Amino acid sequence: MSFFGSLDVSASGLTAERMRMDVSAENLANAQTTRTAAGGPYRRKEVVLEDAAPGSFGASLASAMGAQTGSAVTPGGVQVAGIVEDSTPMKTVYDPGHPDANAQGYVKMPNVDTVTEMTDLISASRAYEANVTAMQTAKQMFSKTLDLLR
Amino acid sequence: MLFDTTQLALQGVIAGTAQRHQALASNLANANTPGYQRVDVDFHSTLSAALAQGSGADASLQSATFSPAHDRSSGAVQADGNTVDADSESAKLAQNALEQEAAVQVAQTRIHILESALGVAGR
Repeated sequence: MSFFGSLDVSASGLTAERMRMDVSAENLANAQTTRTAAGGPYRRKEVVLEDAAPGSFGASLASAMGAQTGSAVTPGGVQVAGIVEDSTPMKTVYDPGHPDANAQGYVKMPNVDTVTEMTDLISASRAYEANVTAMQTAKQMFSKTLDLLR
Repeated sequence: MLFDTTQLALQGVIAGTAQRHQALASNLANANTPGYQRVDVDFHSTLSAALAQGSGADASLQSATFSPAHDRSSGAVQADGNTVDADSESAKLAQNALEQEAAVQVAQTRIHILESALGVAGR
């Protein structure tokens, strides 16, 4: 049934956007972290999203059942492809009193820009809302169709 | 007749809006996916082509299927090649829902008329 498919698609969007929010929050929380398990300062993380249509269970099922013909595509939502580290150079701050300062008094700080993280957070939360709206609309449409039975 | 051309067309609209909703929801879910191309279902042209067939309209409406396709007409609106504009997707989503509601209302009214004719409306 198509409406449940819509709900799954929107739910995948909610999961992906929440993951972006989580990672942005982690970046913000670690904006001043100079020590990590891997050594050195914290490196900014970023979520990579990908189209979930190719290879997804629903798409495989649809093509196995012969539903897909020619160039038709199955709208299948979104998924997190992975979390990658931002390779931009670390910021260097002059702070001789810092325990992690080098001989010249410079400290390597994380490559986290709080303004970028804040705008990413806004973008993720707006996208989250858009998915919630799509979900509510799907629900409304489904109940309207059920009204035919009354 | 309960299953006349109009009823079949209304069924087509309800099925088409359901599929189109999934496509639009997928576009919104992928609003931040790099390189994603927006998907849409053009069920209107399928239905109007079926309706234009005159006496064969009923059969072609019953066998009508809608397939989601990539929309290559809209250019990239984001720097990463993504062609989803969240605002226009939301507008299309709202429009699609209203279209579905209209079709359901008409179908319901037709059923009520039939019920009146059968004398069961006052139950």
